[in-house]
Amino acid sequence: MTTTMHQTTRNLETVGLTKSFGGVHAVRDATVTFQHGKINALIGPNGSGKTTFFNCVTGMIKPDSGTVTFRGEDITRRAPHKIARAGIGRSFQLCRVFPRMTVLENMLVAVRRTKVRELLAGARNPEEIDKARALLVRVGIDHLENVEARNLSYGQQKLLELAGVLMGDPDTIMLDEPAGGVNPALIGRIGTLVQELNAEGRTFLVVEHNMDMVMSLSHHVIVFDRGRPIAEGTPAVVQSDPRVLEAYLGV
Amino acid sequence: MARLAALVVLAVVVLAFPTAAPNAYILSAGIVVLSYACTATAWNFMGGFTGYVSLGHAAFFGLGAYGTGLLIRDLGLPSFVAWLAAGAIVLLVTIPVGIAALRVRGASFVIVSISFVLILLLVFQAWGTFTGGSDGLVVPRPFPDMLRPEHHRTFFYLFAALLAVMLVAWWAIDRSRFGTGLKAVREDEDKAQALGVPTRNYKLVAYVVSATFTGLAGGMYALWFGDLDPIFQFSIMLGAYMVLMALLGGVRHLFGPLLGAVIVGTGLEYFKLEFGDTQFHLVATALLLGVVVLFMPDGIIPAAQALVKRFGPQDSSIREMTAAELLERNRAAAPATTEGDPTAEPTTAVGQEGRHAEGETTTEGPGEGEGPRRGGPGGSSRGTSERMEDAAPRPRTGPEEDR
Repeated sequence: MTTTMHQTTRNLETVGLTKSFGGVHAVRDATVTFQHGKINALIGPNGSGKTTFFNCVTGMIKPDSGTVTFRGEDITRRAPHKIARAGIGRSFQLCRVFPRMTVLENMLVAVRRTKVRELLAGARNPEEIDKARALLVRVGIDHLENVEARNLSYGQQKLLELAGVLMGDPDTIMLDEPAGGVNPALIGRIGTLVQELNAEGRTFLVVEHNMDMVMSLSHHVIVFDRGRPIAEGTPAVVQSDPRVLEAYLGV
Repeated sequence: MARLAALVVLAVVVLAFPTAAPNAYILSAGIVVLSYACTATAWNFMGGFTGYVSLGHAAFFGLGAYGTGLLIRDLGLPSFVAWLAAGAIVLLVTIPVGIAALRVRGASFVIVSISFVLILLLVFQAWGTFTGGSDGLVVPRPFPDMLRPEHHRTFFYLFAALLAVMLVAWWAIDRSRFGTGLKAVREDEDKAQALGVPTRNYKLVAYVVSATFTGLAGGMYALWFGDLDPIFQFSIMLGAYMVLMALLGGVRHLFGPLLGAVIVGTGLEYFKLEFGDTQFHLVATALLLGVVVLFMPDGIIPAAQALVKRFGPQDSSIREMTAAELLERNRAAAPATTEGDPTAEPTTAVGQEGRHAEGETTTEGPGEGEGPRRGGPGGSSRGTSERMEDAAPRPRTGPEEDR
């Protein structure tokens, strides 16, 4: 995180990113620049390519063409774990945790080591456990650390997923519908967490359909339609853009 | 403590078996069961940790067995040097095979694993001048002076030692960071990768370790049995037995494959002895596989644990909480927001130290009722309302209930 302080404001940028599935152009020629240190939101109707765009950026899908750069470095077509280790953490649209591992074990998966000796050492390293517990306290599920993740409620799983992402100390966090399927009180909590983490210097990139959350939370909004950005700007600007109103907000 | 006792009992039973065995046949059946236990445990390095089901592990068993035999026959290596060298050969062969096979997941991986063993079967049958083909390959005995019972007894201990090494290795991986990564692959491979786990390399290492141990088990079998035939060494059945044994015992448990091997191996020997002229042992195996998949998909050990847990307090409390908690959260949603106010300022770090320490020593219990001023390590109030809601339905946290 701190190693990038000298870097200026470059965070995540894509140029001409394209991905087709058969005849369907999920993402076409998407050139997007995300603002460093801000909460960026990505909105758009269902099927507009937001999740595919996400997957292209994080390496889960290889784009057909175009480039992705992170802090000025080309990360196009790199393996997902390398992109993760470069400092981009992500959550999944349908919340994904490791169901038959305990909450604490879920957290420890994100510990990154490369030396063989460290990898073969016991997973229950006190320092790492302390770090995991501190993050669990932060999201509020530390009392469940020995419960298998499949026994958590959906909301708790969302919180666990977020805590797991934070365990890797990502510089940029991509959240795919953090408020999807979650009750209003928890949406508020997740929103507060995002703001606090942003205040600590983490950049966010949030795909979300909950307009109240998007408009109150984000500094910069990018609107996708049919696989490419059609508008961007502050929430106020985007909300009054006629193209956005037509394509998405449905006014 | 109970675990240690069980381990001691297990070790004593294994060590005493050759002396207690009434005749040489029972002892040789014991060796067969142990060799099954070795292969099933070796299979479990891949199947148990990563969840990749390989039906073709007999390929590595056969390679280890034939490798040992051919190295002794053609290069004149001492038996156990040949055995280790064959293990090294299996290791090297597995790397390219693994890179290719691990490009696919799920059912495709199963098919690829089967195809490898079928290819080797055909090659070893057809290449008669080198492998002996269908006439078989006679492996010279490592201890030519020994009488049959003594020979059996020696190999019983050798197999037991090999099994012990595998169990220790499995246990060490299970508790390691590497093992945590492998288990994450089993649970959700994409998610593991998104968290920074280099899944392909992890899987490959697990595959190579698994194959090498299987090869060593095959080599040991060759030294003991002394006669190899492609149809038995490169057999789909052998691969299927490994899977069945591991599934039966429980793939996520250290002793699962061993337990499965004892049950299936004993059963196979019994059916072959009693109904040797028929293929009845295959029918029995198929029935057993059906029963396992239908009634104990996680295996005997987890099923037994669940049964024990049902009478204990812990499991029920977890269930109770998740069920009640959803209700409670909706109910508590409104109070939680008003109650959150006094702690809403980001500067309320007071009292955090105490709470934090509390949370580390007791994960749940009396400490929960400590009051509303708890923040995370960042010094703010996030987490508060959720904690309240979660804590509320639990019977021991009385004060929370009133809110």
